[in-house]
Amino acid sequence: MSGHTALIEARNVWKTYGDQVVLERLDLSIAEGEFCAVVGASGCGKTTFLRMLLGEEPPDRGQILFDGTPLHMEPDAGRSIVFQRYSVFPHLTVLGNVLLGLELRQSPLLGRLFGGARRYARGKALEMLAQVGLDHAQHRYPSELSGGMQQRLALAQSLIVQPRLLLLDEPFGALDPGIRADMHKLVAALWREHRLTVLMITHDLKEGFALGTRLFVFDKVRVDPQAPGAYGSRVTYDLPLKRPEDRALSAAVPALAMA
Amino acid sequence: MKRLINLQPSRLSAMMLALLPFVLVFFAYVATSNARLEANPNDKLLPAMTSFGEAMERMALTPSKRSGELLFWRDSASSLRRLATGVGVSAVLGLVIGVTLGALPLLAAGLSPFVASLSLIPPMAILPILFIVFGLGELSKVVLIVFGIAPVIARDIQGRVREIPRQLIVKAQTLGANTWVVILRVVLPLALPRLIDAVRLTLGSAWLFLIAAEAIAATDGLGYRIFLVRRYLAMDVILPYVLWITLLAYAMDRGLRLLGRRLFPWQAVSA
Amino acid sequence: MLDTLVNRRHRGFTLLLLCALATLLVSGSASAAEAKKKFKVAWTIYAGWMPWDYGENSGIVKKWADKYGIEIEVVQLNDYVESINQYTAGGFDGCVMTNMDALTIPAAGGVDSTALIVGDFSNGNDGVILKKADKLEAIKGQSVNLVELSVSHYLLARGLESAGLAEKDVTVVNTSDADIVSAAATDDVTAIVTWNPQLGEILKTPGTHKVFDSSQIPGEIIDLMVVNTATLAANPDFGKALVGAWYEILAVMQKDDDAGKAARSAMAKASGTDLAGYDSQLKTTRMFWTPADAVAFTQSADLPKTMAHVAKFSFAHGLLGEGAGSAEFIGMGFPGGVVSGDKGNLKLRFDDTYMKMAADQKL
Repeated sequence: MSGHTALIEARNVWKTYGDQVVLERLDLSIAEGEFCAVVGASGCGKTTFLRMLLGEEPPDRGQILFDGTPLHMEPDAGRSIVFQRYSVFPHLTVLGNVLLGLELRQSPLLGRLFGGARRYARGKALEMLAQVGLDHAQHRYPSELSGGMQQRLALAQSLIVQPRLLLLDEPFGALDPGIRADMHKLVAALWREHRLTVLMITHDLKEGFALGTRLFVFDKVRVDPQAPGAYGSRVTYDLPLKRPEDRALSAAVPALAMA
Repeated sequence: MKRLINLQPSRLSAMMLALLPFVLVFFAYVATSNARLEANPNDKLLPAMTSFGEAMERMALTPSKRSGELLFWRDSASSLRRLATGVGVSAVLGLVIGVTLGALPLLAAGLSPFVASLSLIPPMAILPILFIVFGLGELSKVVLIVFGIAPVIARDIQGRVREIPRQLIVKAQTLGANTWVVILRVVLPLALPRLIDAVRLTLGSAWLFLIAAEAIAATDGLGYRIFLVRRYLAMDVILPYVLWITLLAYAMDRGLRLLGRRLFPWQAVSA
Repeated sequence: MLDTLVNRRHRGFTLLLLCALATLLVSGSASAAEAKKKFKVAWTIYAGWMPWDYGENSGIVKKWADKYGIEIEVVQLNDYVESINQYTAGGFDGCVMTNMDALTIPAAGGVDSTALIVGDFSNGNDGVILKKADKLEAIKGQSVNLVELSVSHYLLARGLESAGLAEKDVTVVNTSDADIVSAAATDDVTAIVTWNPQLGEILKTPGTHKVFDSSQIPGEIIDLMVVNTATLAANPDFGKALVGAWYEILAVMQKDDDAGKAARSAMAKASGTDLAGYDSQLKTTRMFWTPADAVAFTQSADLPKTMAHVAKFSFAHGLLGEGAGSAEFIGMGFPGGVVSGDKGNLKLRFDDTYMKMAADQKL
């Protein structure tokens, strides 16, 4: 129904905290099915932008459209998120964490499913766990899992609700390099399989190139050395990448290696 | 020789060190008691160990002359019933108030200072009001305990709820939960282990309020007995009762800790 | 290796500590039967004991102590039972208390005690209050709030006896004297036994009736200055000074002149009321204003009878201790060599020697 319009469209978005301008005149548009990586120096406002997309933070000026209508300014089931930490619920088992998405949505009174509905949800959850390779650990608690396994679980938990938009907030920042590579493969596979629209924040430029179909660079175009907070960031580069696997392109923008 | 700060006791010596103060107090007691009894065989302040045995046999095993009941068990049952009711009501109230205030900033803005002030009122100071409102019966004893510890538990739970990472609350909402379900499925279960800890920490106060309440007006109970026989300095009854209360309190503390581990296995692992 | 070293050291240390502790406690608790110069007596607030406060503040006690070359410290305690317990444990040489408490606490606790001064008896200061009726008989079946095992309890027992009832006809609820006024204000409390000033306070509430009081059992609830018998024997000057001071205080306060009023006003203030309030409390307290008066009461044949009553009540309530096989377990001595109960276990003595000295102006 909305294949031809942008899923996310930010128009002239501004955000200030006190006299600190974080974002100014930010414009961008993301089409359904894109895998967008957002990179930038710390403090460039990429996390602020993510919080806006989640609905946690309203823009001061400008507009963000979600599927053509103004974005709902409160987290809801249309947008799922995987944080760097605290994405999974410590009091639930692996299976319970994935089930939760189905339960919370379908049972507004108790937040639990029973009987046949539960069996069906359980089946779907186990299927999801198998896709991220956690089916063997379904009865364990998150505290018994490694960091990589916890993030796999977080992905499974987010995807089971079939979000229109998947937000990733430096999801692999705390992982070892080897495990990070495995996770990249997994995310790329999930993206293709579920036809996801992804927006991933990362401070790792290579990761952005490795996964994204598109790369945004957030940076300030004006800098006042006397008042560092006087100007905000916007999208300074918007690079379409042919294939997520196509690393040759990274050589084309050596100037970006400042992050 | 290693520095004192680096000396670690072995298992055995740790046990011996732990026993030492008890043994010390025991011997000091026996020595002092003997000396006093030598000067006055009827001394009641520090009775001999045999007197404790006789007193407890009388209280726990011999039906009382007046009512035909075993006073010690009746006292224990009454006190434990009051304590359990008071602590139970406090836990439920504290949990509900604490979770609500912790999870809903709008309510917290209105009620948090009130609950904080409430928790600072010394309940003993407003006893006459409690009496007149709740009467002199069982209710006022339970209310005294509730008044004394529920606000403390509520504040503790509220603090714990505030510590829940914001990410988890956002996450639950992205999974489609409404306010009620977020509280029910995320906030409440994460606050429950703290409830056990809060109850453990307030149990001492609860005993204090219970015994105070029983000292003021009662017909039975451990506190009642202690304050009653204090009138004729029957330390042979008082000291075993005190020991018994200590044991009960210790058992409850251990029991709650075990219960916490059993009920919340996800917590024990992360520790 | 290190560990055993630490342990061994601890063991020696423990032994050392233990010995030190034991010696400390033993030396501290040894009761003094030897002659000494410094004495401590305790008192608590009650109409008949307020003179001690005045005696301390006006310097009368010090004057008499100086006369005999000793020091007497008069200490006020907040808690009545605690003051008697302290005395029994050896913390004080003397303490004010009622005849019943003298029997059940120090005497039953093996501390040989002497009633040095018989100060007064309650003549309406203790009473039974009913809310819904004006006859004592109506108390049957009710819960009665009172300080259990105190003189209130004794008064109730005597009252029930006079009405042909027994204790099993009522339910006794132990209620702290500090909270009995607020307790009485609640609806579910319908029967109370207490003493002044709480008694007067509760009777101010409309609908309350005093159905029995201590004036109906005159001379049975007696207020005493009790001292340790051994201390007194070794230090007669201690007794002389206390008795001398007491009757000088009474002489000042019983007059209706300015000095008397000033003294009573001071006592009133210290007990939380005013002159009129204190005077009305004194009306229900039968003070023995002169030593002769007190001596006569102490020598009367009624006193042993009263004490036999008290002993019977105390025994029935287990107040004489577990070793007591009968109400006569504790021996009590009265003037003229009269002894009741077990002569071998004489622990409470009513001694008129010193009051007689005062009466004969030999102090």
